[in-house]
Amino acid sequence: MRIRRNSSRMKKIENDNKEDTSSLQDLLQELTKSKEFTQFTYPGRDFTLCFGYYVSLINLEILHRDILPYVKELTSIYELPYVLPIEDIVITSDSKEIQNSLLRGSIFLFDINNLSQVGIVKASLEHVRQVSLPEVEFSVVGPKEAFVESLDTNVNLVRRRLPIPELVIKEIEVGQLSKTRVSVLYIDGIANNENVNTVIQRISDLEIAQVNDSSTITQLIQDNQNSPFPQLIDTERPDRIASVLGEGKIAILVDGAPHGLIGPTTFFEFFSAFEDYFLNWTIASFFRLVRFFAVFFSILVTPIYVAVLTYHYELIPKDMLATLITSRNAIPLPPILEAIILELTIELLREAGARLPTKVGQTIGIVGGIVIGTASVEAGLTSNVLLILVALAALASFTTPVYQMGNTIRLIRFPFLLMAHYIGLLGVALSFCFLLIHLLRLSSLGRPFLEPFYPLRLQDLTDSLVRLPFSKQSKRPILEQTNDTVKFNQSKAEKKNDL
Amino acid sequence: MEKKELQISPFLVFFLIHSVQVGVGVLGFQRVIMKSAGNDAWMAVIAGGIMVSAVIWYMYLLLNRHQKNLIDIHKILFGKWIGNTFSFIWICYWLLSGIVVLRSYIEVVEVWVFPTINIFMFALIFMILIYYCVSGGFRIVTGLSFFGVVIPFYIFFTFFFPIEYAHFQNLLPVWNHTIKEMSVATKDMVLGYLGISTLLMYYPYIKQAKKSQKWAQLGHLLTVTIYLIIIIISIGFYSEEQIAKEIWATLSLWKIVKMPFVERFEYIGITSWVIIILPNICLPLWAATKGIQQIFNTKPKKILIMLLFILFCAMISIRGRDNINLLNEYMSKFGIILLFTYLPFITIISFFVMKRRREKLEKNS
Repeated sequence: MRIRRNSSRMKKIENDNKEDTSSLQDLLQELTKSKEFTQFTYPGRDFTLCFGYYVSLINLEILHRDILPYVKELTSIYELPYVLPIEDIVITSDSKEIQNSLLRGSIFLFDINNLSQVGIVKASLEHVRQVSLPEVEFSVVGPKEAFVESLDTNVNLVRRRLPIPELVIKEIEVGQLSKTRVSVLYIDGIANNENVNTVIQRISDLEIAQVNDSSTITQLIQDNQNSPFPQLIDTERPDRIASVLGEGKIAILVDGAPHGLIGPTTFFEFFSAFEDYFLNWTIASFFRLVRFFAVFFSILVTPIYVAVLTYHYELIPKDMLATLITSRNAIPLPPILEAIILELTIELLREAGARLPTKVGQTIGIVGGIVIGTASVEAGLTSNVLLILVALAALASFTTPVYQMGNTIRLIRFPFLLMAHYIGLLGVALSFCFLLIHLLRLSSLGRPFLEPFYPLRLQDLTDSLVRLPFSKQSKRPILEQTNDTVKFNQSKAEKKNDL
Repeated sequence: MEKKELQISPFLVFFLIHSVQVGVGVLGFQRVIMKSAGNDAWMAVIAGGIMVSAVIWYMYLLLNRHQKNLIDIHKILFGKWIGNTFSFIWICYWLLSGIVVLRSYIEVVEVWVFPTINIFMFALIFMILIYYCVSGGFRIVTGLSFFGVVIPFYIFFTFFFPIEYAHFQNLLPVWNHTIKEMSVATKDMVLGYLGISTLLMYYPYIKQAKKSQKWAQLGHLLTVTIYLIIIIISIGFYSEEQIAKEIWATLSLWKIVKMPFVERFEYIGITSWVIIILPNICLPLWAATKGIQQIFNTKPKKILIMLLFILFCAMISIRGRDNINLLNEYMSKFGIILLFTYLPFITIISFFVMKRRREKLEKNS
């Protein structure tokens, strides 16, 4: 609702703008309202020129080095593109266009006696962060470039990896206030047209005032916006984007966001780190299996503890029960409270660590992990068995390579806990069924989320729970419904490998 | 035939058939068939399997001829009013089978895990789950059937634990029962295989439906195999006098299972059974919803809520072992009449009606 209201107000502003800037004179009047708008006249050889720009947006060095020394020779505005050593020069009379380019860092200049033709020269000043190491998806081996906030740099990073004309980049402007440039990347001839159209359609239909990050786009265009599960992967690795584009997926890059989006995707892809492709397939598969185990462990272990200790003591063999009882006999709280207190403590630690600067964060880790943990066991508030389990579950949830999915895993543990307290193991099973049906109902850009298991596609299984050798992955995933399904000719590749 | 996006691959029929057959029945079918067939009960399992295999065969015969679901076939053969009345009987049957499965499961939970469980809340949680599943449409129900077979499959390995204590000489002497005793046992065994009738509703949702019979038969074969393994182990493990007292013999088998970290495996078994019986309820309810939607042309979500309300009321009003047994009996008679009398009858009628219509068409042209 709020977005819609904003948008209607925004339209009003736009309409006002249109009326105000119907002529250049009016535009100038409008612009001079801002203090940083600079305007001056400059005597040329044949006529006097008038310059205008936002001083904060342009690079003054370009103005003094590449523009002012040359304009003296001008005989008419039309000569601008031939005289100035700058590529991006437009001559127009459209005041709307002038205004837009000014706001994107251009200088305009015109003959003081002829207001109808205005030259726009690009001289924008951009503060761009240097391409640096990936922080969220760091890998020991493999490329170490990560996206930055500038869309052009990011596109450059992807295009350098795919030097083919078929890589198409569609640009859409989103947000009435922020005017954010959103790029949709796909490889023509491989990507499924229906998917491409869906993405472009959904982005163009967005009615929103500001786009702050790529995650705004994810939340707005994913199939089910109420699900805690992300349905598009976000990545900061240009190599990952280049690689999945080759599989027929579609990538979205947003100006100002150091993360790109990938879709359509599956639940299982969220647990594949890009590093898996840099390691031998046996090792990579092992790591993936460890991650899947970690997910189930992380979700289920505390609920099962609560269920068993609240209702089903009989399940545990005698010897093991002794260990559990000794660790719990002095504890006054029921298992559910014990578990919730500890789970919340871990969440507090995580949240505090995330909000504080790194150096203070380390202190939090020590205070939380060692002091609170040990003290609460010694004080008899929690059992040390549960402390171990909760800590392990938290550790396991951090193995998820995609940050957003890790958060989801930590959240869905709580309904499981409550149900475990209510009807024991049955509650855990019922919650699991609920989770399963929810995942079955999800889709990513209209493609089933639990593929390759349901619908079962053996070919796509080669790169899901495990990652088989590259030579076995000669075809593109069926999920993407690509136009060109073959990556390389397997029999030919085998022949070449032959002794 | 439905739209292509809504259709499922033919091999998924394997899971649909198998998942709807295996339900609460597996937990305690031994006592009933061993009462009449004793140590020859395994033959009854095979004989019942063959009979149901024949049912699948003539269901496909009927469906392949019409390429439509049961409601449409009824309309074609009997006209709108009579046809819809027959359809309505089937819908009642599906709803009733949902009631029986869920109520029997709740009874197992009551007896084995939580004697004082709040049925009201427990049934309510189930209703929400079923609504969430069935309202997602047929693809979601199929998905649940698929996972309902794949995920709990580990359970079947635990049936090998009692083999250590089994005496397979119990199986001998082979064939020491009369034909009459065997046929009673076979009839009782057929109940374990019921539920396949939902095929009559989802047939139009199968891609290349004609070719899917192979998968349906294979799914049925898996059910027969599982029943066969369990009955052979049970015959070896229990004596005939002992099994007469075991209402849930399969659950008692699990008492033997012992692993370093788990004892009393029946708790885990009953818990995992949730995901096995869920498709067992969702599929008939989906069929009933689809049927009513076709007859009355109303919104499926409203129908589903109405059906769930009936299901919920049944859950909280049916109490006591005797009533549940009675319901089970009615339901099985109902099922047997529909599958073994009504279905062959309608298959034959359809053959003649379609033949006459074709002749008429030929005459006219």
